[in-house]
Amino acid sequence: MKNTDLIKLPFSKNNPILVQVLGVCSCLAVTAQLKPAVVMAVSVTVVVALSNLIISLMRGTIPPRIRIIVQLVVVSTLVVLVDQVLKAYMYDVSKQLSVFVGLIITNCIVMGRLEAFAMVQKPWPSLLDGLGNGLGYSVILIVLGFVRELFGSGTLWGYPVMEKLGLYNIGYENNGLMIMPPMALILVGLIIWWHRSRNKDLVEQ
Amino acid sequence: MKKTFSNRYIFIYSAVLVVVAALILTVVAVSLKPAQEKNQQAETKQMILKTIGIDATRDNAAELYAKHITEADGYYTFSGGIILPLHGTGLWGPIWGYLALDAESTVVGAVFDHKGETPGLGGEIASDKFAARFIGKRMDAEPIHLKKNADPANPYEVDAISGGTMTSNGVTAMLQQAYNDYQNLNTPRNQTTPNNQINQITQTTQNNQRKEPTQ
Repeated sequence: MKNTDLIKLPFSKNNPILVQVLGVCSCLAVTAQLKPAVVMAVSVTVVVALSNLIISLMRGTIPPRIRIIVQLVVVSTLVVLVDQVLKAYMYDVSKQLSVFVGLIITNCIVMGRLEAFAMVQKPWPSLLDGLGNGLGYSVILIVLGFVRELFGSGTLWGYPVMEKLGLYNIGYENNGLMIMPPMALILVGLIIWWHRSRNKDLVEQ
Repeated sequence: MKKTFSNRYIFIYSAVLVVVAALILTVVAVSLKPAQEKNQQAETKQMILKTIGIDATRDNAAELYAKHITEADGYYTFSGGIILPLHGTGLWGPIWGYLALDAESTVVGAVFDHKGETPGLGGEIASDKFAARFIGKRMDAEPIHLKKNADPANPYEVDAISGGTMTSNGVTAMLQQAYNDYQNLNTPRNQTTPNNQINQITQTTQNNQRKEPTQ
């Protein structure tokens, strides 16, 4: 596989959410608003890229029988480390991030990429694969966050879009279902539907 | 290509890995602790100042706090009244906040925060929008509680958070707790007018810094 494909494919035929169907749990939980969705997207991208790199560097030494535990130790050390440093020097960013720490460590994409890619690939491609998958995940999160905040709360990044447009005066109401996690699942389903109808080769027989 | 690893190697490998990870984390945690604690204390002061409408930065929080806030036994006082601390549990972990009341037991400012409530749902209690719903509500005849479709005219009802029911219940519970504490402070002097109550609370605490509030 070419290195450019490692970045490009996660956006199309190998998207972690749409095709691998990984990371859906966090994707439902944090997309009620745009801002947390973006924070989560950035964090996961950084963590999956760095942990892919580290595991790839260690890959020759890791005994297969305990590889999952080793991966988990590396990922959680990395996340806690970053959180501690932020807490001391960039407190506001850390406040934003602290609730995500648990979600990042348990994100299936991180473990999924370590297992499927970094354990058997060289460091540089592993770093690119991590970046690509992180960004592929980010795109879906940001789209969901945008739609759910706009139609669920009538705001975008906290800015009252619907109110400024004057839609409430003509009888518009926010859709409460958009805020609930089930609606994120429905939206992901719709995106997967659209995605498969454009990429027929992904459709299972 | 496939290597085999002896049990001995696996044991040593995992032991070394865990010790190295623990060492890194310990060194980092210990060396960063002073800076972190400073940030946390400043943040608490910022939160308390925010309830009385003072937007402090982390740098000038300590200075403004010393100027405007007096610490009493389990609560705080400012020139216009009293600030009650709130502590409770949300869905995933602790939630807390501060509620500033004027001499008439009317809320003049509120601020909430949480450790790990779901962002966008229960996590919304930390937003200014949510805190603003409390202004003008009252803590005299009954505690303020969160309710779905609350009546904005009712001084004891605040609109709860959609999709954050468990967190909202936690907020209601900690308001109830704060209300009980507040009533206990007032009890021995319930014959007096509310205005005097506050003055007396302030005086009592100034006189008896160490004593528990009367039960």
